[in-house]
Amino acid sequence: MRRAWRWVIAIAVAGWLPVFFIAWWWHASANSKNPYFPPLSKIWTEFKANWIFTLVPVHVVPSLINLFVGFAIAIVLGIGAGTLLGASRTGARYTEPLIDFIRSIPPVALVPIFILLLGLDAKMRIASIAFSATFPILLATIEGVRHTNPVLLETAQTFRLTNQQILWRVRVPYAKPTIFAGLQVGLQIAFVVTIASEYLGSGFGLGAFTLNATDSFLIVDAWTGVILLGVLGYALSLVFDAVERVSLRWYYGQKKLA
Amino acid sequence: MEKSVNNAITIDSVSMEYQTAGGTKRVLHDVSYQVSEGHFVSIVGPSGVGKTTLLRLLTGLATPTNGSIAVRGQELHGPPQGMAVVLQDYTRSLMPWLTVAKNIALPLKRSGLSKSEVAERVMSSLEEVGLSGSGRSYPWQLSGGMQQRVSIARAIASRPSILVMDEPFASVDAQTRFDLEDLVLKVRADFDITTLMVTHDIDEAVYLSDEIVVLRGSPAEVREVVSINIPFPRSQVASRNDPQFAHLRTRVYALVRGLE
Repeated sequence: MRRAWRWVIAIAVAGWLPVFFIAWWWHASANSKNPYFPPLSKIWTEFKANWIFTLVPVHVVPSLINLFVGFAIAIVLGIGAGTLLGASRTGARYTEPLIDFIRSIPPVALVPIFILLLGLDAKMRIASIAFSATFPILLATIEGVRHTNPVLLETAQTFRLTNQQILWRVRVPYAKPTIFAGLQVGLQIAFVVTIASEYLGSGFGLGAFTLNATDSFLIVDAWTGVILLGVLGYALSLVFDAVERVSLRWYYGQKKLA
Repeated sequence: MEKSVNNAITIDSVSMEYQTAGGTKRVLHDVSYQVSEGHFVSIVGPSGVGKTTLLRLLTGLATPTNGSIAVRGQELHGPPQGMAVVLQDYTRSLMPWLTVAKNIALPLKRSGLSKSEVAERVMSSLEEVGLSGSGRSYPWQLSGGMQQRVSIARAIASRPSILVMDEPFASVDAQTRFDLEDLVLKVRADFDITTLMVTHDIDEAVYLSDEIVVLRGSPAEVREVVSINIPFPRSQVASRNDPQFAHLRTRVYALVRGLE
């Protein structure tokens, strides 16, 4: 019972501002004649027509597929290369300046280059997403794997574990919280690049939909696209947090007690 | 090899230097000592004298500048087989992402034991330290004293012939400390382990040891080796009331303080 109450209070604390905001928007825009700020009621009607669920297969599914494939490639590349470079002092020293340079380029700026190289199809979009999301994951992994607590490393040495065993059983697990921080940034970048890559030469995807709508002066449609993007982005971060909480149970449990 | 067959560890004219910003710092000078098989030896000395440095050399985690260390006749190159180490900082030497049982199983990764044998070892080690029910907990869910029991269980899981401990009870309360001291005596008796311990607690050293090595000076040298002839098995009440106990602790104290 007390648990249930705590839930009710938590939801009320988190939810009152969004509810208030939507109510305000609904009311304030009700009689709007400004074409750029149509009434929320109109946007809502259109939103239902578009996204529950008529246009989802055309514009949402392709975006999400690109996002997930690109992000998955970034995870494999970032954690794989990051583990090797983090474990080898020389390796990191030789590659770090280049990595620092490339990750300093704003990710969206590379999309035109990828278009030149790969054309205008999904391959280009996935490559752009994967490329830009790799760097935060790579850097976080290098950082985490390199700075293993020396007491744990020495303990592992007294067990006479091989370097391989120390890497996979001590250094990588120790780095997991840092790696997750990199994954979070990587996912945000992947989402941005997913949408940005659809601004150019695409008929499908949420980015293309929103841009085409504004170009065709379909302002209500554009608003529904923007709102859906917000909802998707928020949902992604909720899913990510849930995965992180489960994978790093030991880390948060330990922190709570400390 | 023949000459050291009765010695678990042979320390032969060991010196240790560090390069610091101010030049070369000499920590140990010409330290020689032999740990007899089956003995319990404590290393004591004023704080900062180089006790932990000597222990790191004995475990193969560091290499002496001069001299050599042999474990059962084999010169050291890295941590030797058959030696288990309990480091001072137990809260940071247990892997927080592994359960207690998996922590204890970690040193067995290269033992060639089967899965069921490993599980068996984990169970019996937990039982030995009185933590049978805690295998599924995470280390950070346990009290400091229990965490230190886990690191002792982990140390004995590989059935070592030598156990090396660096101030193992430094950060637990007095009652827990007595319990852990008795646990170490029990483990040593049950498994017949040669045990080496660094401590700053002279009473503890007298209570546990067959022999106490007093380090003194800068660079540190072996000032004296004191034999503790209080009979085994020892008990917190009887042994500490032994007239020898007061005499020996006074003597070791005087040696550590440089009063003798």
